[in-house]
Order: sequence, then structure tokens, then C-alpha cells
Amino acid sequence: MSLFTRTTREVTEKIDEFFDTIEIGILIFKEGVKAYVTGDQDAFQSHLKKIDEQENKADALQKSIENDMIVHSILPQQRSDMVKLLWQLDEIIDTAKGSLFEFYIEIPHIPASLVDDFISLSEVSANAAEELVPAARAFFRHPDQVREKLLKVYFFERETDKAGLQLKKKVFHEMNDLSLAEKAHLRYITHHIESISDTAQDAADLLESMAMRQML
Amino acid sequence: MIIFYITSGLFLGWTLGSNDAANIFGSAVGSRMVSFTRAAVIAAVFVIIGAVVQGAGASDTLGRLGSVNAIGGAFTVALAAGITVYLMTRAGLPVSTTQAIVGAIIGWSLFTNNSVDTKSLVVIVSSWVTGPILGAIFAYGLYPLVKVIRKRINVHLLFYESYLRTGLLIVCAFGAYSLGANNIANVMGVFVPSVQLQAADFGIFTLSGAQQLFFLGGIAIAAGIVTYSKKVIQTLGNNLLELSPEAALVVVLAQSLVLFFFSSSSFSAFLVKMGLPGIPLVPVSSSQVIVGAILGIGLYKGVRNINLKVLGSIASGWITTPVAAGLLSFFLLFFVKNLFGIDIGHSVKPPSAPLDGKDIGLIIKYSIIVLLIITASYLVYMVLAEKKKTDRVNKKYY
Repeated sequence: MSLFTRTTREVTEKIDEFFDTIEIGILIFKEGVKAYVTGDQDAFQSHLKKIDEQENKADALQKSIENDMIVHSILPQQRSDMVKLLWQLDEIIDTAKGSLFEFYIEIPHIPASLVDDFISLSEVSANAAEELVPAARAFFRHPDQVREKLLKVYFFERETDKAGLQLKKKVFHEMNDLSLAEKAHLRYITHHIESISDTAQDAADLLESMAMRQML
Repeated sequence: MIIFYITSGLFLGWTLGSNDAANIFGSAVGSRMVSFTRAAVIAAVFVIIGAVVQGAGASDTLGRLGSVNAIGGAFTVALAAGITVYLMTRAGLPVSTTQAIVGAIIGWSLFTNNSVDTKSLVVIVSSWVTGPILGAIFAYGLYPLVKVIRKRINVHLLFYESYLRTGLLIVCAFGAYSLGANNIANVMGVFVPSVQLQAADFGIFTLSGAQQLFFLGGIAIAAGIVTYSKKVIQTLGNNLLELSPEAALVVVLAQSLVLFFFSSSSFSAFLVKMGLPGIPLVPVSSSQVIVGAILGIGLYKGVRNINLKVLGSIASGWITTPVAAGLLSFFLLFFVKNLFGIDIGHSVKPPSAPLDGKDIGLIIKYSIIVLLIITASYLVYMVLAEKKKTDRVNKKYY
């Protein structure tokens, strides 16, 4: 009996740590984009390093939780959904890390007039992912509250779409001084940032159905 | 020689273990919450304890149905029941040892020109109906209770699952104990009148002759659980209804309670003391009770979840089992008597010609009661199913 409880406690701690890692990763992403677009290279490099560490940690935790679930037959009937959820949450931090690395490798030129737009876009996209974590935590204790919490994820995802659309419209309709290559590059970076909220939405859909089944 | 004769009972015990015992932890294993090995070991231990400690009550009732008065007859009756259950188990059908042994005893009574105790038969057959209905009622009542507890205790899902797993192991142990107590009558009941063993004094406790037989029968059941119950679990655990761990817990608990009530003389005496009618101590079919309990859960969740085809195939086994066992018993007795010249028993109480008015009155009385119970259950079922459907249509997600 004590063996069951110890294993269970270890796995719950790992799950909590995994969520913490995702949350921290999202915060680092927001700060990283802000540092890049404002030209603070030292801070950007530091955030880049940190998000890489967090992403590696999330990967290791995800694998470890999956292994524990199989070895100790934890949540046998929901295991595939759980594995998928963990994978999608990990995908969020992967995408966030990927976005910061796009800035690092491709060094996109961000015109001063677009700084606020990029900050705003990255914040609203990251917010969608950020709001997903409390909903995922709630699934384990209060599945009846999951849907309510997910409303914010859907809201921020829609806001991201709007912000992305506005930014792209501004780039292509108003900024005639930019070359087509620069415009296309900015659009590409915008898409990458937007994909964080899209991944969060996919995870939210899965989480919602899992919570519904839990409630039946 | 006695050892040779009781081998057929041990064989029947083995088939019971491989078939009926799967009902106890089939749902838990089917829901993948408990490993087969762990469940089998727990069930094997507790089934023996239940058989020895509390096996006498139901055995007396079965003895009244037809007291097989020669060990050769007891051997053949148990063999016929065992073969019937084994063959049906091989065919992948969840069958009942209770029905098989009742059919086989009736076959013996017909062959030896003994009368069948109509009252005992009616009581036993009635339990075939009341058992699953009680199982359904318990499951229907317990399931929402478990859901409410889940909501109230507010623990992490993984801890809740861990508690549920422990709960499943506990109810499996209780279920195995009740199965041993209730169904040992099917395995060794026919041998009690003809095998007289001396009481064994172990210092701390004494085992009567019947208890020693029950102990042997318990070991045979345990052997059946360990060696052959996995296949039946696969049929019952997954085909009838997709069970959540909570539902599995409720199903096993409901079934265990029914088996326990039908074998506990103390509980029956308690009811009588309270001025209520006592519960007859009869061997109940755990296969029927589990179907009832699963139906109770299905009823709570909405009828659309139930695989009615599987349910129908199980129900057909309830009719074919006693008929097949009865016929097999009759023919085996013929060969054992005429080919080997073994005493298979003699007529003590020839049947009166053909049924007296009292018997007919009793049959009519119980038939009406059974009919009323079935009708009332069907009506309740229809009302609840309709309500569930309406709720589903009106209900939003939460």
C-alpha cells in the first residue's frame, strides 16, 4: 500500500513539475521576444539558454511520466489521452523554443513601428498557452472546472489570430519601405509565434473531452 | 476410494474457479486496474477461507433439493455438472455452476425415482431471478454514491485512482470470500450426505467433516482461478459493457453483497430478529448477479452502452446449462450403474403422483411472485431508461 502511495506521489510531483516547466518556459518566451525586439541582446541570449534548459527538462519529465504510467499501470483507461496531452503540452514549449531560435538564427529585422505589435502578439499567444496550464492542473482535481478555465485559452487564441492578422496587414499594406523578402520573413516569424496558441487550442480540445469523460 | 470419488467434485470446483470466480475480479482486471496475477492470488486465498468458514448454509439448502445418498451418485452428479460447465467455458460462454449442479441433481432424482423437493427448487430458482435483480439494485444505488464521494473527497486523480485500486482489491477479497461461502455448496454439497469424515482437531480450531470437504473444494476452486479464469475474464470484462474503474468497483461490491447475503446465516437471523423475512441460504449464480450488477450500471449510464447481444448469449446459457447438465447426469448415471455396477443411490422419497395440490399451489404462488418482480423491474427499467434519454437530450455538457 505504501509502495502504491509512494509511486503515485512521485508521479503527481513529476506532473506538477512538468506543468511548472511549461509555465516557466512560456514566461521565458515572452521575455525573450521582448528582449529581441527591443534590441537587448544579452537578455535575449540569457532567455535563449534558459528556454533550452526548460525544454530539455520538459522532455525528460514527459518521458519519465509516460514510463511510470506504463510500468505502474497508472490511469490505464486514460493512458493514451494522457500521453497525448503531455505530448501536446510539450509541443507548446518546443514551439516556443523554436520561435526564439528562429529569432536567433534568422535575425529578422523588426522595424521600430512593429515592436509593440510583436510584443503584443507574443504575449497574447503565450497567454493562451499560459491559461492552458491551470486548466490541465484542474483536470486532476476539479474536472468540473476545466471547461470554465479553457474559455480563456479559446479567447486568447482568437485574440492571437486577430493580432497576427493585423500585424501582417500592417506589414503588407502600410510598410512600403520594406522589401518583399523582409515582409515574407516577418510573416513567417508571425506565423511561428501564432502557432503557440494554435497548439494550446489543440491541447485544450483534448483536455475538454478528457474532462467530459471524467465527469460522466 | 473416497478420494477417487470426490475427484469429480474437485473437477467441478476447478471449473467453478475458472468460470464463476472470474466474475469476482473480471471487471477489475477488465478495467486494467488490477493485474490478473494479484487478483487471482487474493481470490484463491479468500475463496478457501469463505468455503471453510461460511459454506454450510447454502449447502444445506442444496442437500434438501435432492440428497444424493450414495457416493457413486454424488461422483456422477458432480462429474456431469463439471463437464457441462467445462465445455461451456471452453466455448467462451459465462455459465453458472449453480444451474449445472441443480440440473445434475434433478437428473439424479429422476434416474433414481426420487422426488424433487419442489419448495427447495422454487427457492433456488427464485434466487436465479432475485439475485441479478438485487445485483442491479445494489449497483444502481452504489454507483452514484461512489460518484458523489469522488466529488466530495477532492483528491488528485492519481491518488483517487490509487485508492480505487486498493478498494478493488479489498472488494475482490470480499467477493472471493462470499463466492467460497455461497458456491462451495455447488462443489461439495452433493458429497456431504454420503461422505462422513471425522472432525479434525487442530488445537486452536476444529474442522468438521463437511468443512474438510469444503476445504478440499476450496483448493480446487483456487486452482481453477489460477489456471483457467483468464479467458473468461476476457469475455466478461470487456464484452458486456466498457467498465470504468469506479463501475468495476461497484459491480464487484454489489455482487459480493448479494452472494454474502444469500450465504450468511447470521445476517438472515438478524433480519428475522428485526421482524423482517429471512434471506434463504441458497447457492446463487455469480454469473447472473454480475450481469445484473453490470445492467444496473448500464441503466444508470443509459441503455445505449450495453451490448445486448452478449447479454442475450449469457441468458441463453442459463437455460441450456441446467438442461444439458440434467441430461448428461441422467445418461452418466445410467452408464455408471449398468456398466460399472456402482451404487449411484436409491429411492428414498418417490415422487407422489404426479404433483399434489400443495406443490402446484406453491409453484403458482412463486411463479406469480417472480412474474410480478420481472414486470415491476421491467417497468422501472423502462421509466429510468426514458428519463435518462430525456435528460441526455436536455442536458448540456455540464
